[in-house]
Amino acid sequence: MCGDATNWDEDAYRETVLKERQIKTRTVFRTAWAPPYTPIIDTLLVASSDGSVASYSIAPSMLNNPFYFVNADTDELSAQPNCFVQAHDGPAYDVKFYGDGEDALMLSCGDDGRIRGWRWKEFSSSNYFVSSQGNDIKPVLDMVNPQHKGPWGALSPIPENNAIAVNTQAGSVFAASGDSCAYCWDVESGKVKMVFKGHMDYLHCIVARNSSNQIITGSEDGTARIWDCKSGKCTQVIDPAKDLKLKGFASWVGCVALDASESWLACSSGRNISLWNLPALECVSKIPTHACVQDMLFDNNQLLTVGTDPLLNRFDMNGTILSQIQCAPSSSFSISLHSAGVMAVGGYGCLVDVISQFGSHMCTFRCQ
Amino acid sequence: MEDGEIEEGSIGGVEEEEQSSEPRKSEESPYEILRNSKASVENIVAQILSIKKEGKPKQLLRDLVTQMFLHFITLRQANRSILLEEDRVKTETERAKAPVDLTTLQLHNLMYEKSHYVKAIKACKDFKSKYPDIDLVPEDEFFRDAPQDIQDSVFSNDAAHNLMLKRLNFELFQRKELCKLHEKLEQQKKVLLETIANRNKFLTSLPSHLKSLKKASLPVQNQLGLHHTKRLKQHHSAELLPPALYVIYSQLLAQKEAFGEPIDLEIIGSLKDAQAFARQQAHKDTDISTTVESSKLDDDGPDEEEEGQRRRKRPRRVQAKENLDQGGIFQVHPLKIIIHVYGDEASRPKSAKLITLRFEYLVKLNVVCVGIEGSNDGPENDILCNLFPNDTGLELPHQSAKLFVQDAITFNTQRTSRPYKWAQHLAGIDFLPEVSPLLITDNSGAAKKESVISGLSLYRQQNRVPTVLQRIRARRKAQLTLLEQLESLTKLEWPRLSYKGVPWALHSPLCNLDSWSPVRLPPVPRESSSSPAIIDKEEHVQEPMDTDVNEHSGATKAETESITEDGELPSLLPNMSKPDHSTQLNLISKTIVPPLNKIRSQSFKKFDDNSDFLLDTESDLDEPAQTEEEHENILSNYHAKKSVSWMDHGLKEFCLVLCRKISAYESNVNLEAKIKISMEYPLRPPLFALSIHCISSGGNHDEPGLEWYNELRAMEAEVNLHILKMLPVNQQNYVLAHQVSCLATLFDYYLDEASPSSERTNCTSVVDVGLCKPVTGRFLGRSFRGRDRRKMISWKDMKLNSICPQ
Repeated sequence: MCGDATNWDEDAYRETVLKERQIKTRTVFRTAWAPPYTPIIDTLLVASSDGSVASYSIAPSMLNNPFYFVNADTDELSAQPNCFVQAHDGPAYDVKFYGDGEDALMLSCGDDGRIRGWRWKEFSSSNYFVSSQGNDIKPVLDMVNPQHKGPWGALSPIPENNAIAVNTQAGSVFAASGDSCAYCWDVESGKVKMVFKGHMDYLHCIVARNSSNQIITGSEDGTARIWDCKSGKCTQVIDPAKDLKLKGFASWVGCVALDASESWLACSSGRNISLWNLPALECVSKIPTHACVQDMLFDNNQLLTVGTDPLLNRFDMNGTILSQIQCAPSSSFSISLHSAGVMAVGGYGCLVDVISQFGSHMCTFRCQ
Repeated sequence: MEDGEIEEGSIGGVEEEEQSSEPRKSEESPYEILRNSKASVENIVAQILSIKKEGKPKQLLRDLVTQMFLHFITLRQANRSILLEEDRVKTETERAKAPVDLTTLQLHNLMYEKSHYVKAIKACKDFKSKYPDIDLVPEDEFFRDAPQDIQDSVFSNDAAHNLMLKRLNFELFQRKELCKLHEKLEQQKKVLLETIANRNKFLTSLPSHLKSLKKASLPVQNQLGLHHTKRLKQHHSAELLPPALYVIYSQLLAQKEAFGEPIDLEIIGSLKDAQAFARQQAHKDTDISTTVESSKLDDDGPDEEEEGQRRRKRPRRVQAKENLDQGGIFQVHPLKIIIHVYGDEASRPKSAKLITLRFEYLVKLNVVCVGIEGSNDGPENDILCNLFPNDTGLELPHQSAKLFVQDAITFNTQRTSRPYKWAQHLAGIDFLPEVSPLLITDNSGAAKKESVISGLSLYRQQNRVPTVLQRIRARRKAQLTLLEQLESLTKLEWPRLSYKGVPWALHSPLCNLDSWSPVRLPPVPRESSSSPAIIDKEEHVQEPMDTDVNEHSGATKAETESITEDGELPSLLPNMSKPDHSTQLNLISKTIVPPLNKIRSQSFKKFDDNSDFLLDTESDLDEPAQTEEEHENILSNYHAKKSVSWMDHGLKEFCLVLCRKISAYESNVNLEAKIKISMEYPLRPPLFALSIHCISSGGNHDEPGLEWYNELRAMEAEVNLHILKMLPVNQQNYVLAHQVSCLATLFDYYLDEASPSSERTNCTSVVDVGLCKPVTGRFLGRSFRGRDRRKMISWKDMKLNSICPQ
């Protein structure tokens, strides 16, 4: 602990108290399982609101409480990352992998409007030192959102990137940006290939529908749009909350998800989820939720959602709830699914909860 | 042939004759005769033989035979005469022998006599005198100093011997003189002793005189402000303090005298008891080898006495002590130190008294306890706890004491004074020897003394006294200012901010301070203490009864469990704890309730049928409130399992509601903040947990809390963390006021921005901050940003601006 009557350092103690609080107010914005996707559960990447991207190995020894729920307020859960990089100034919002296996790129985007890429091999082989602050690995890719010119040549602030999606075949990275545009970046050249303009407010999320060379974006303006990557035109505007909006309720598309066949789209808007059949372009079902949905994804024919309450919900395609699992973060921003069925939920309080496919908590830890 | 026989016989006879006549040889005549006759016999025999051989007539033989017989006779005669002669010689020899014997005897006598004399001579020669070396005065000195009569006297012819005798005489003379002198001196001494005794008597009577004088002078002393007498008394009793308390006393006194530290020290307790205690301690420690039993018996006497003394003051506690075997464990040293701590403001010469502490020493546990004098608050209001991190005072500070107590893990909760770690540090328990100082023998004492000295120098280096005093003052002041702030909040007034250097101090809040109420803590802290402690506590409250303690503890356990599940408050505990049938029944009914709850909740489950899909059976769809309840149940159970952390000790919890009327909806928005104020305030600033409620005019509650979730978290982060960095150090004590007004400012800001009017769409315009054209005459900017849709808060130039907090 920090001193007693024999060696009292009040300032240092105050620092530690504040540091502790700082960690508890941090948010994990994205968790991602690292390739190679072997059945052995190994490494979890965590992007959090202090702009760091860190990897944690989910070794069996870390499984501190296999079957019990952990109370994040009282327990000491801190975990040491394996690898750590200070990726962004401001929060890091998303982490994705570009490619597979050893030569995969780890891409991250953040509030500073950058998309940065590291060689996964290089990153995972580096060791974490507290002193280096994670600046010792150089990114191989560094792309900055363009700034808008205003009157008299004034430049706007760099808009942030809220989410990224990849298309490995075309060699492009799609970014959902804060200036209400989506950008398509060329990985080879690091240049913008295409700009998708049309949303009325900043973009929350983006997914790539690679089978038909489309991207789908969700925005603060309450709509989701389907864009054609060839032409850069919006082919479809999905307004899940059309009727609600008239009543003046705030709604935004916080996250979108595509299923594996890329024919089903889930769209969150506020406290509702709408499920769309893409070939038919019609809304199949609307699911009301108790809390705002902040991330979701498809697990075969089921939909996993997390939001502003500490629950992980599992819906079937009809919108009936299958299960609710208590999870550690009181507000979750990310759910990621390992191919083995293990789920990682990350959110407020810098907490990550790893849940097995059967709903038991494999481990819960607080990032540093 | 007959002849031949005879001859043969005769021949044999002759031969015998010859042999027997042989002694005659010595005597001439008989031996001559013997020989001659033998020869003649031989001749005759030879003749006979020749006759026989030659066959001569036998007549010759006859003659020869007679002749031979004659010879035989002579032989016999000679033989006899020889024997007679022999007899005669024998008697003669006999006669001659007697004188020889006599003379031999005489010889022996003489020889014996001689050896005796030789021995006597040797003994005389070896004789050592009784005083082998009387250190006589040397000869020359003798000749010089000895009186003439001694020198001249003659005792013996031998000159040397004479000299010796003279010297001896001189010696004797001298010694006699000295004896006389000794006697004289002895007498003198007696006289002197008598005078000394007289003077002594005077001296012994003197203190009483002085005392009366002193008593007479006391009013004068008081008048003049000199506390000479009092201090002396204190010093005297300080000597009887146990080492730990002595260190506290001496170090604090030194601090006071050297640096003018505004504190006052006092030692209370009866001196007589302390003396008796010290003596008893010394006695006990010396014959520690005797059986423990007897020593325990010994203890009982003084203990009882002490108890009796304390009974007057705190009768309840004493009873508890008697009930428990531990009574002796918590035995307190009769002397205690009282310390008055004054404020250290330099402006006033003697600033107000901040706090009065009482240090006492638990003899058996070797532990120093501190309490606040004159306060009987429960552990919740114990402002000394967590003075330093992780120091609740509930646990015994060192392992040996813990081992000693064994069954009662936590410290007796009912005591007003507690064994904080800082008190042990202040007392230097870490380097003091465990034995009482009276017992330290010289050789082992030296080493120990050294270790104590080095320990004390370390003690001073670490500035323990100033650190602790500074912390106590800071804590007290913080608590006072906190009280002040709480008071104004209880009156529902915005707390005054004297410091205007922060933006929220200038903001006049649009929202109302709707309510401020203390929250009773969930019964966590009590439960966490183990069951023995609870028993302990209860027995303080109860009458001492002959109940079985085990049964009792079972009852309390059940009770506490039921309380957890019901979420009932712990204050009911002591009242209900009479172990009679009514409470038993009570218990049963209580414990039955939660299962019923559960059954109900399970029966309401919608998906019981397709339970194969159900991964988590605890959750319930249709009733989210139910889910939360369950969740809280899980949490509280979890709490009960885990021991409560030290930070929650002495935690105060309040509920603050800020209310703002929104004209557009004609509804009220309530911002509810649960504020946890730890005892470490302001080092550990109050922690706000926010939730929001909409109360529309119809009175139905809406819960936008989950939509607002991320905003609330951002506000929390701002209030709990970020604004703390903007406060200067001297405003730390007012951090609660700052937090509350900052919260109000933020609440206003959020409501203004989020008011669901037509402006909203403008607010979230496409163009980024600084580039849009003002449409409504207001400066517009993006109000949300990022995946968490958080408001951008920045404090720029004393005004609220938009940025991105981390």
